[in-house]
Amino acid sequence: MVGEDFVSMIPAAQSEIWYGEVNGQTKEVIAKSNSILLDVLRDKTGCLGVKRGCDMGTCGCCTVMIDGEPRLSCLTMAHDVSGSKITTVEGLSDGSHLAPIQQCFADHGGSQCGFCTPGFLIASQALLEKNPNPTEQQIACAIEGNLCRCTGYQQIVQSIQAAAAIHRGDAEAVASNNAAHADPHPSGPEI
Amino acid sequence: MSKDYVQQAGMNKDVRVDGKRVAGKMRFNPPGSGGSRPEMAERDMEFIPELEGGNEAQPAGGHFQDKYRTGTTVGKRTPLVDANAKVTGQAWYGDDVRLANELIGRIIRSPYHYARVKSVDTSEAEKLPGVIAVSTGVDAPSQFGVLPVTKDEHAMAVEKVRHVGDLVACVAAVDEETARHAARLIKIEYEVLDPVHDPKKGLLDVDEPIHWRGPYHIGSTNVQKRVFQEFGDRGSLEDTTQAFHNGKWKFMGVNHGFTEPHAVVAHWDPNGRLQLYTPQQVPHYAHRALSTVLEVPMHQINVIRTFVGGGFGGKSDPFPHEMCAAILARKAGRPVRITFDREEVFWVNRGRHPSHIEVKINANDEAKISGFEIDALIDGGGFASFGHVTSYYNGVLATAPYELGSFHYTGARVWTNKPASGAMRGHGAVNTRCAIEVGLDDIAEKLKVDPVDLRLANLLPPHSKTITGFRITSNGMRQALERVREGSNWSEKFRKLPLGKGIGIGCGFFISGSGLPIHWDPHNFPHATVHLQIDMDGGVTVHTGAADIGQGSSTAVAQVVAEVLALPLEMVHVRSHESDTSPVDLGSYSSRVTFMNANAAIGAALEIREKLLNAAGEILDVEPEKLVLNDRRIYVKRDPTIGVSYLDALHKSQEDIGALIASGAYRTPPMGGIHKGAAAGLAPAYSFSAYVAEVDVDVDTGQIKCTNVWAAHDCGKALNPLAVEGQIIGSCHMGLGQVLSEQMVYGRTGHLQNPNFLEYKIPSVHEMPNVTPIIIESCDPEGPFGAKEAGEGPLLPILPAVVNAVYDAIGVRINDLPLTPDKVWAAISKKMKKLKLDDPRDLPVPTLDFSELQKKLEERSNEHRLRDSRRQRMEDTGPYLNGVLFGLDPTLPPEEQDETWKISVKPDSSQLDNLGLAGSAWTKKEQRHMAGGK
Repeated sequence: MVGEDFVSMIPAAQSEIWYGEVNGQTKEVIAKSNSILLDVLRDKTGCLGVKRGCDMGTCGCCTVMIDGEPRLSCLTMAHDVSGSKITTVEGLSDGSHLAPIQQCFADHGGSQCGFCTPGFLIASQALLEKNPNPTEQQIACAIEGNLCRCTGYQQIVQSIQAAAAIHRGDAEAVASNNAAHADPHPSGPEI
Repeated sequence: MSKDYVQQAGMNKDVRVDGKRVAGKMRFNPPGSGGSRPEMAERDMEFIPELEGGNEAQPAGGHFQDKYRTGTTVGKRTPLVDANAKVTGQAWYGDDVRLANELIGRIIRSPYHYARVKSVDTSEAEKLPGVIAVSTGVDAPSQFGVLPVTKDEHAMAVEKVRHVGDLVACVAAVDEETARHAARLIKIEYEVLDPVHDPKKGLLDVDEPIHWRGPYHIGSTNVQKRVFQEFGDRGSLEDTTQAFHNGKWKFMGVNHGFTEPHAVVAHWDPNGRLQLYTPQQVPHYAHRALSTVLEVPMHQINVIRTFVGGGFGGKSDPFPHEMCAAILARKAGRPVRITFDREEVFWVNRGRHPSHIEVKINANDEAKISGFEIDALIDGGGFASFGHVTSYYNGVLATAPYELGSFHYTGARVWTNKPASGAMRGHGAVNTRCAIEVGLDDIAEKLKVDPVDLRLANLLPPHSKTITGFRITSNGMRQALERVREGSNWSEKFRKLPLGKGIGIGCGFFISGSGLPIHWDPHNFPHATVHLQIDMDGGVTVHTGAADIGQGSSTAVAQVVAEVLALPLEMVHVRSHESDTSPVDLGSYSSRVTFMNANAAIGAALEIREKLLNAAGEILDVEPEKLVLNDRRIYVKRDPTIGVSYLDALHKSQEDIGALIASGAYRTPPMGGIHKGAAAGLAPAYSFSAYVAEVDVDVDTGQIKCTNVWAAHDCGKALNPLAVEGQIIGSCHMGLGQVLSEQMVYGRTGHLQNPNFLEYKIPSVHEMPNVTPIIIESCDPEGPFGAKEAGEGPLLPILPAVVNAVYDAIGVRINDLPLTPDKVWAAISKKMKKLKLDDPRDLPVPTLDFSELQKKLEERSNEHRLRDSRRQRMEDTGPYLNGVLFGLDPTLPPEEQDETWKISVKPDSSQLDNLGLAGSAWTKKEQRHMAGGK
């Protein structure tokens, strides 16, 4: 960006058809052969929940699940993962039912500005799917590639622990004291 | 309303019991829920203040708004109202705004530190297929800046570029590839000038200062702002000093490191109005600057604040790229989106100033702080930004929480050819605070007393005035110190831990909202305005300009409205994104939003409340004063069976007007001194905090790991403890970064070497200590339900707490942040050499043997505890001016009772020779006072 003129050494990219199962739906789009997955997801498949924070794999905001593994979509060539099953933050919830991990991030302060949240959600969901009983150290290792500048991670770790309890079946998704759940007239008679 | 009304078919059959939210299936029955049923939830007595008959403890006394508390949401751990949008990926940040037919903009930036732009040739770029618009500095000659007194920025370079990365031109093309290619085709001819990188050199006269301020320019230096303040009696300092500390500090520049890079979308709609989408903390300033630069009246611009992916002060300036997007969109007749890559974020910067700070502290034989002297030279980079204010904050925010015998501050902010520094969380106060808190630790060591007791015995009480005239109202400093001492088991650990393990203390003091609005006289316009609108179905829409940048301001505003009107939070909707619909608001900076906006919102809600009570009173034939609200019902306090539903009262009061509308405003009370600069640092309330940090230092490598932090913060009243704790822990994280690893590294040629997150080291989850947040509630008399700020103040104490803990661990003080392993190891080696040790594991650790003073301090702090508690609870309302501790009469201004008490904002000629580094800026004359000025 800054500096003298330079001539690109990369040969011109070709357009090609990229396809994949994004959040359970088969997508087929035309993309450049040198596209990174992040750009394809954001610009072509409409998954704007995948965030671009640093372009070099240092912030983790662009984490998506590729065939069940959390990967950095900014460091993944779209071409290489053509045909894969990809889950983004949009694919975590079941219709409008929030997944436990999403509910817990909302209720325990795991999300402040929210920009890093999609990446954290994917990384922690991938952890919980493999290990619903993670230690604090295992949680830390799962999210070590994700930067959060707001929360100081503590409430994120608490959110993941709370979600783990739901995954294990130790706890029901606890209703937060948000009034939607605490409505005192669940089925009161109407007069 | 029909009895059989069903909001959604079959909703009751399908209600989930696991607490998950189901869209469209919230358990409100008819619209305006609570409508006509006689039963209601019981009042939540746990959240009704004890003085109002509830169970909520009020150790700091009552508050005038207590009678409006309904126990609905205030004080409860409340998830952010926009949390669901964030966890589903539906929150729309700057780059997520995709308009039809959009173009992609790129900015062409200077490769030189300092150069004159001789020519810009855009013809090649314009010829490239796919390029729709190109713009250069000639398209926008007007200057702008966040402060009206220092408008020194252009949308693109007009005459000179002032740092690497300064904007020169911009292009808009059909896609990013074409735009990047076009950017390389623009030919710019520069005449390279001599850059200045070292702020110390910025104090010297040069041929070509970075900016020229005409008659007000200081010599021909690069000094942008200089400050001199002298208060109190400094004459007898030398004779009375028992312990003296002199610390010379170097602080590296720090970037906010928000995760969302800047992004902007500009679109001129078919009616010719500009719609600008930008993640701004302060949309109103951007609005003003856009109007100036584009030469379009403000009402023809709609600034739409997107979700903001972290601000911390870094998104509060109006930015040149926002102008560029608007200019390109106007030329192209199509929407233009510009998104930064991470490197560009570092070129825009506005982070914390790199600083050279010298602090001198004198303590007398009673361990009173008789002298405080601060000299701060701060490196402003290429532009003024908030620098005018930062120059003051580096000194004046050090005048509390301690009572001082004298205060002397010299400060200077210089322009250098670096990306501009600006406001960052803890604006201006952080570095000086670190230096003085470490200084106090040193003083305590020299006096052989416990540093906690030293602080406890020198605190200003609640409802007092600082030496420079700041009006302190509520003050929870004492409780904060006592709680962290207790929580950390301080007395068992301090100076008793083995080599490599240490514990340290630090305090903080910060403004809760800036006392003066930057752009207008507060007597004309209020600081904050909030509009409420209630339509027939009972839902409340709150219009506010408060920018939610993740701190939860929308939640706080919704909470106070829900609390006053006793409605579920879901019935309150905050609309704060568009300048078209929100009243003018100064935005999210200087920790003002909770204090000012929530106060304005309470004002508006009270207006609605009164109308509802009057209507209910009319229906029930009861005096409105006897009615209370709870859970969508209004009833007689003594007999809850006599009442009407919220909806009935609402409809009664809406007769003939359709919707209830109310407006509330907040303005600060008159306050402050009359000396030059008295307004800087004025605030309607101040927050206080005390942290204890524990560290492990590896003496073989110099690696520091912070393991535990006990963080007590006085936020007045925690409207939402969940959010307050999030702010405290998050502040710890950011402060830890500055003290241990974060720095913007400029190489020998002045080039920024680490504009990315790989080399700019933000702490990851592994570096975070276990933080125990402790909320102190001192109940501010003017805050909304007693609340004060919690966003910035909690950052301050973590730096000195860690530095002091490192000293406790290895007996070495390092005055150069961040404390990277190389610096720590160098300091350890130096000490080993001095002591002729071969093994760092033989290093002696500092010990503590109390002197007689310790007992005196404990007695004094016990006396003061009583004094403070009486003043906090307003049992003692006498005036208290700084100086009482030194024997002055609290009722009279010190300058009237002590002839040697000075108040001076300009050095006299005898002082000119022995001012500090930054103070030497005062040896230069302004051009208007020079013969034959340029």
